[in-house]
Amino acid sequence: MSTPPPDLSLDEVRDRIRVAGVRIPEERLAVIHSLLRDALRPIRALETREMSTLEPAPTFDAAAGRDRHGRR
Amino acid sequence: MGAAELCDLGIADLGRRYRSREVSPVEVTTAHLARIDKLDKTLNSYVTVTADRALADARAAESAIRGGAAGPLAGIPVAYKDLYATRGILTTGGSALLADWIPEHDATCVTRLQQAGMVMLGKLITHEFAFGIQFPGHRFLPARNPWNLDHIPGGSSSGSGAALAAGLTVGALGSDTGGSIRGPAAFCAIAGLKPTYGRVSRAGVLTLSWTLDHTGPMARSVEDCALMLQALAGYDAADPASSREPVPDYTATIRQGVRGLRVGVPREYFFDDVKPEVADAFESALQTMRRLGAEVRDVQIPSIRTAPAFMVIMLTEAFAYHASDLRQRPHLYGEVLREKFMAGALFTGDEYVQAQRLRARLQEDMQRALSEVDVLATPTMTGTAPAFSMVFDPNFPFARSNMAPFNMAGLPALALPCGFAPNGLPISLQLAGRPFDEATVLRAGHAYEQATEWHRRRPPV
Repeated sequence: MSTPPPDLSLDEVRDRIRVAGVRIPEERLAVIHSLLRDALRPIRALETREMSTLEPAPTFDAAAGRDRHGRR
Repeated sequence: MGAAELCDLGIADLGRRYRSREVSPVEVTTAHLARIDKLDKTLNSYVTVTADRALADARAAESAIRGGAAGPLAGIPVAYKDLYATRGILTTGGSALLADWIPEHDATCVTRLQQAGMVMLGKLITHEFAFGIQFPGHRFLPARNPWNLDHIPGGSSSGSGAALAAGLTVGALGSDTGGSIRGPAAFCAIAGLKPTYGRVSRAGVLTLSWTLDHTGPMARSVEDCALMLQALAGYDAADPASSREPVPDYTATIRQGVRGLRVGVPREYFFDDVKPEVADAFESALQTMRRLGAEVRDVQIPSIRTAPAFMVIMLTEAFAYHASDLRQRPHLYGEVLREKFMAGALFTGDEYVQAQRLRARLQEDMQRALSEVDVLATPTMTGTAPAFSMVFDPNFPFARSNMAPFNMAGLPALALPCGFAPNGLPISLQLAGRPFDEATVLRAGHAYEQATEWHRRRPPV
């Protein structure tokens, strides 16, 4: 059985804040860390080469004449 | 008929009474304006009341009804979430950033309901930019839940939920990116429909996350939602995701019942944090569906546990939309909302793409489940409305959602009351269907509603 990938760490959140150039107070980091960690957990667990590629949105038969997979 | 009774009637009932001349749109509108004046000082559901406009609309509807040319929505009071642009009328988005914005155009939905003869009572408070809670000290006071004023009415269409439950409007529009129509519907014991992505135009409605945003009706019954959807649905060139799929007659099939209808229950994920009183009410609702002739069975959605990737998409798109103001005028955002939006800048490009790939797989799995059954049923919320004292804690966690998976998949989803907890707060059932099959979802919801009394209960306002 494979080991689950590591969750996003608090230090990684600090690094991301620095790179993005946004201001988030240190005392609020725990909340933001929890938000990002939970959102990223399924992505970190993803085997990216086993996934099919896709167009962005489930537009079904949107106005531009695309089908539900975004194809024209 | 007394003023309180007039404000308790639904769209279909009012229409019948208008046509028989038992009551008039002006009487009903006047009763609503008086009730708003009396109760909304406490509930805070309206940002703006458009009394003069409402009376003018009501008089016009009265003429149309007398002339015999009026449709089912003529003379029916409606109010709009303050995310919908209204020409010449303040539209704030619940934000200090837009505190003085007077749009030059109506949102397409507003135009369509106006053309159908609805009477505009005003604009309803929204959580800031359809996401943040209205925290103490922010420019707008939060709407309060008519079932218990110390509790939130849900959000972000908070004013829409509160006003409908309290009889301060007959119909309302909400928007739903991760549950903002269905959440307030659940917490306020009303009905709310998030239609299929592309079914109802979003043109003129402020964006939160464009691949997840939906617009739709809210009312005190499923049938009233169907009547409003009829006027709202249909292609709009102004919304790039708008669909050309033909619009069926939603009321033609709504009374056909659920005999033989296959109801699927995805047991994984949707029941993780469900409170016992919600689980009991939900199982009871399934029993009612069985008694009505539906076939209820469990279904699998294998990729459902990837649903939290929703937040990557939503926050990244929200940041992309607000990036300029967040950098130049951050002080005009509520503090907690600003942090959440800023978090949208912390995801990488590949993470956003992977989240969209997971979304496609989730969409395929949900549609596969819907090839085995006609509708999916889940609890709308895992618990009842929390108290303000809880959500005003800046560390209050963003709850895992039973609603967001249907935004990810773009499927139609309806919330309707299915019970009350021992604390007196409402519990809600969520029914979802295939793309553009709102008719079946509404039919199932209406059948359940007709067999139960939950939607007839009124809060102690």
